[in-house]
Amino acid sequence: MNDIEAIRDFFLAGDAGKLKRSYQQLSGSFEATPPVVEDWQEVEFAFNRLFVGPAALEAPPFSSVYLDAQGLVMGQTTMAVRQMYAALGLESPWKNSLPDDHISLELDAALAMNHVLKKLGHSEIQELHARFMNHMTRWVPLFADRVLTAPSRHPAINHVVLCLSDWLDKQTCGLKNYQSAREEKV
Amino acid sequence: MSTTENTPETQAGICPLTRRRFMKGLLAAGVLANLPCGLLRPTRTEAGEIVYAGDYEIFRNACPRNCYDTCSIKTYVKDGVVQFIEGATESTFTRGGLCVKGYGYTRRPYSPDRIKYPMVQEGRGTGNWRRVSWDEAMDRIAKKILQIQEKDGNLLGLALSKYSGNFGITNYGIEGMMSSLGYTTRLTGTPCWPAGIDAQNFDMGDMWCNDPEDMVHARYVILWGGNAAWNSVHSVKYVYEAKRRGAKIVVIDPIMTQMAAKADEYWQIRTSTDGALALGMARHILDNKLYDRDWVMANSVGFEEFASYLRENVTVEWAAKESGVPATNIIEMAEEFATAKPATIWIGYGLQRHVNGGAAVRAIDALVAMTGNVGKVGGGARYGHLRTWGFNYHALLQKQPEGAKGVPGKAEVKGDFHFAGGNDAAAVSYSDRILNINKTAQVILDANDPPIRMLWVACKNPFSQDFDRNKMVKAFEKLEMVVTVDQFFNETVNMSDIVLPVTTLFEEWTINASYWHYWLSINERAIQPMYETKSDIQIAATLSKKMNALKPGSCTFPTEIDSKEWMTKEFNQGIYDLFGIKSWEDLKKGPAKAKMPSAAWHDLKFGTPSGKYEFKSELAAEWGNKALPEYVAPREKTDKYRVLTPHTKFGLHSQFINLDWSEEFNPKPFVYVHPQLAAEKNIKDGDTVRVFNSIGEVKTTAKLSTVVPSDAILMYEAWFRNNPYNVQNVVDDTSSDMGAYKTGQPGVAIHDQFADLAKV
Repeated sequence: MNDIEAIRDFFLAGDAGKLKRSYQQLSGSFEATPPVVEDWQEVEFAFNRLFVGPAALEAPPFSSVYLDAQGLVMGQTTMAVRQMYAALGLESPWKNSLPDDHISLELDAALAMNHVLKKLGHSEIQELHARFMNHMTRWVPLFADRVLTAPSRHPAINHVVLCLSDWLDKQTCGLKNYQSAREEKV
Repeated sequence: MSTTENTPETQAGICPLTRRRFMKGLLAAGVLANLPCGLLRPTRTEAGEIVYAGDYEIFRNACPRNCYDTCSIKTYVKDGVVQFIEGATESTFTRGGLCVKGYGYTRRPYSPDRIKYPMVQEGRGTGNWRRVSWDEAMDRIAKKILQIQEKDGNLLGLALSKYSGNFGITNYGIEGMMSSLGYTTRLTGTPCWPAGIDAQNFDMGDMWCNDPEDMVHARYVILWGGNAAWNSVHSVKYVYEAKRRGAKIVVIDPIMTQMAAKADEYWQIRTSTDGALALGMARHILDNKLYDRDWVMANSVGFEEFASYLRENVTVEWAAKESGVPATNIIEMAEEFATAKPATIWIGYGLQRHVNGGAAVRAIDALVAMTGNVGKVGGGARYGHLRTWGFNYHALLQKQPEGAKGVPGKAEVKGDFHFAGGNDAAAVSYSDRILNINKTAQVILDANDPPIRMLWVACKNPFSQDFDRNKMVKAFEKLEMVVTVDQFFNETVNMSDIVLPVTTLFEEWTINASYWHYWLSINERAIQPMYETKSDIQIAATLSKKMNALKPGSCTFPTEIDSKEWMTKEFNQGIYDLFGIKSWEDLKKGPAKAKMPSAAWHDLKFGTPSGKYEFKSELAAEWGNKALPEYVAPREKTDKYRVLTPHTKFGLHSQFINLDWSEEFNPKPFVYVHPQLAAEKNIKDGDTVRVFNSIGEVKTTAKLSTVVPSDAILMYEAWFRNNPYNVQNVVDDTSSDMGAYKTGQPGVAIHDQFADLAKV
C-alpha cells in the first residue's frame, strides 16, 4: 500500500482500530517522524470532532465547504469533482449519500489519475490531472490549516495532514513542470 | 445530453473535458481495467454528463414543522441533488412563496454540520463520540430495553419525549414503535396550545377555525395575542385583502409586534388581562343591545347566566383598569366589532399561555358568539382545527407484544394530535404510564415505580423547549440511557448517550396537513438519504429487527418497511372524499384543498353536550374550571418583571436559527428592554445583562426597544448552535388553566414568568 492510500483510508476510518491501521501503513517516506500514539481512542474522539460529528465539524473534509461561496456540500464544487471522476469513467460508490468531494474520494481519484498518466501519457489525461491537482491545491491547504489549528487538533492527525500536504506539494511540483512545458509549447 | 451556456467549466472552472471523447481513449488502451483506486468504481451508465440548467426533476414536499402555514413545496432536483425549492403555486394559501425560514431548507441536507452517522458518546457531555454502525447502535439500545424488561417486568422504564419537530403523519410511527415494544411511559400533552383547545371544546365542542382564506370577507379583524407577520406570513395577505376591502385591522398584544405595526389600531394590553378586555367589551355590547339576540336565542345555551355575570361583575371601567386599554377605546372597539358584520377574531396561541389563558379564550369566544359571528363566512373565533387529519394512523397503531405488562387498567393516551383511540378496548388490561410533557423534568425526577431508566427523544429538543432547564439537567442525571434522533447537534444531543441521524423532509415519504388552512400535501422522497440517515419509521423497523434477533417476539413493529408504501397506507376513502381526489397519486400533481365550507360551524350544529354554543359549560366545570367564561386573575408576580419568551422571526421554536442563512440576519440573541426600565437599571444598549430568578439565569446582550412593555423583559425563544442562550433557564413549569380535557395535560403558563435584571 502506498502512502496516499494510507492517507485516503485514514480519513475514512470509522473507528480507532482503522485509524491505527492506516496510520501505521504510512511508510515514513515523508520527512516528518510520525508521533507515537498511546491512546487511539483519544485520536478517534478528536478525529470525530474534526471530520465526522455529531457536533459541528471543526474541519469538514469536503472541498466544497472551502471553495463554494455557500459553504455547503453537494454544490458546484461537488458536482465538478463528480464530473472529473466521470471523465475517468469513474463514480463514487456512495453517490448522493457521501459528497463526491470528500478528501478520501479525491485522493482515490488522484491515485487513478496517476495510474492512467503512467500508462498513457497523452495530453488529455495530463490536462485532467493538472486540473484536478489545481483543484486540490485550492482547498487542501485551507483544510490542513483548519485541522492544524482546530481546538481538537491531535499530533497524529496533524502528522497525517502534513503528509497529505507534503504529497500535494510534490504533485504540484510536477504540475508546475507540466504547465511550464505546456506554456513553452504554446 | 445537452450543452448550455452555463457549462460546468464556467461554474467551477476545473473540468474542461467532455467525458465521451476522453473515455474512448481510456477504453481503447485498456487502462480502466486495473485502476489502483479502492473506492471509486466504473460508472454504470453511459449518460453521465452533468447539465447545469433546465431539465430538473420536480418533487412535491411540504414543510412539516409546527407552523400555521404548513407550506406546500416544489423541490427541483438535478443529478440527485436538490438545487432549489419554491412554494407550490397550486395551493392558493402557499401561493408560490415560502417564508424566510422555509427558503433555508436546502441548507439542511447539505450542511456539513448535519448529524451523519449513529454515534455513541463515552460520557454525556464529554464530546467523546465514537461512530458506530446502525447494527451496533441498535444492539446497545435493544439490550438496554431487554434489560429494563428483565429488571422491572415491564417497559414503563422506557419513556418517549416527542412533539412537533416533525408533524408528518408517518412520524407517528415513533409512538407506534413504543407500542410495538410494550407498555411504556409517554410524556403526553402539548406545550403549545392546549388551554385554547379545551376552551374551544367547552364552548363549541371542538376547535374548528374558518378557512383563513375567507378572512378577506371580514369587515373587522382583531388579531389577538399572535404575531402573524412573523409566524403565519401567508395569512397576512388575507388580512391585507380584508383591509383593502374596507375592514379595520386591530392588533391586541403586550408587545408591539410586526403585525401590530401593520394594523390600523394597536392596543398594548397588560399581559394576561385579555379576558378582562373581552368581558369589558361584552358588557358594553350587552348594555347597548348590540349583541345578536336572534343568533344567541337560536344557537346557544347559558347566555342569560353569562349576561348576569357581566352585569354583576364586569364594567368597562374595570376592564380598562385591568387591561390598560382606555375605557373610551374599549367602547369604541366593542361598538365597531359588534356592528361590523362579519367580524372575526384570530386568537393567537400566546394569549393562552397563562394561568388564565383558557378562560381568556372562552371570554373571546363569547364575544364572537354573542355578536353572531360564529358560523359565518369571514367571521369566527379562529384558533385552529384538526378537521383534515382523518388519516389511518397506520404507523401509529401498533400492538404490544404478547404478554406485555404495564399500568393495570385502561388509560387513554390523549394529545392534540391523538386521533386514533389506540388499542382495541376489549383487549386492554394494561396501559402506558402517562405523564405530563409540560413537566418533563419533574416527572422524570418523581417517577420511581419503576423509575424512568431510558428516554427516547425524537422530533424534539427538550433542553431548548421544555421548561426549567436546570431541573432538566438534574432529571437527565437520573436516566440510565438517553437516545436522541435528530438532524443537528444541540444540547439534548450533548446530554445523550446515543444519537441517531434522521432524514430531512427531502429524504423521506410522508403526508402533511395543517392545523390552520385546509390544504393537504404529500411529501415525496426527492433525494436519497444522505450519509447513513434514516426516517423515524425506518429507525423503528431497524430496532425491531434487532429486538427480534435478540429475543424473538419482543417487538411487533415490522422489520422491513417501504416508507412510500407506509405513506400510502395512511390514506382512506374519507380523506379522498374530503379532498376530492381519487388516489394519493393525485397529490403528486399538487396539494389539494378540503371540500369544506369556509365557515367553521356553518350548520350551527355544535359538538357540545347541548349541541349549541355553550356560554355556560358544565363540562368546563367538571374539568375544574368555571362553567361561565368568567375572569380569572393573572398569576401573582414571583419576581420584579414579567419575562416574555415569544417566537422569533428567524426560527420556529428551536429550529432554523442554526442554519447559516438565519444566522446572517440573526447571529446572536438579545434581551429586549424598554428604555425606561433600562434607565432604572443603568443599562445601555449593547451592555451584557443578566436575567435571573429563583430557577436560573440568562446572560446576553441588551437591546433597548420601545416595543416591549416597560415592566417586562423580552427574550425570543431560540436555539443558537454557538451560544448557550436558553430562555428555559428562567421559565418554570407552572401549568395553565386548561388543556387536560382534550390533550391529556394542562398547558404551561409560558408567559407568566418573572425575573429580575442586572447589568453584568
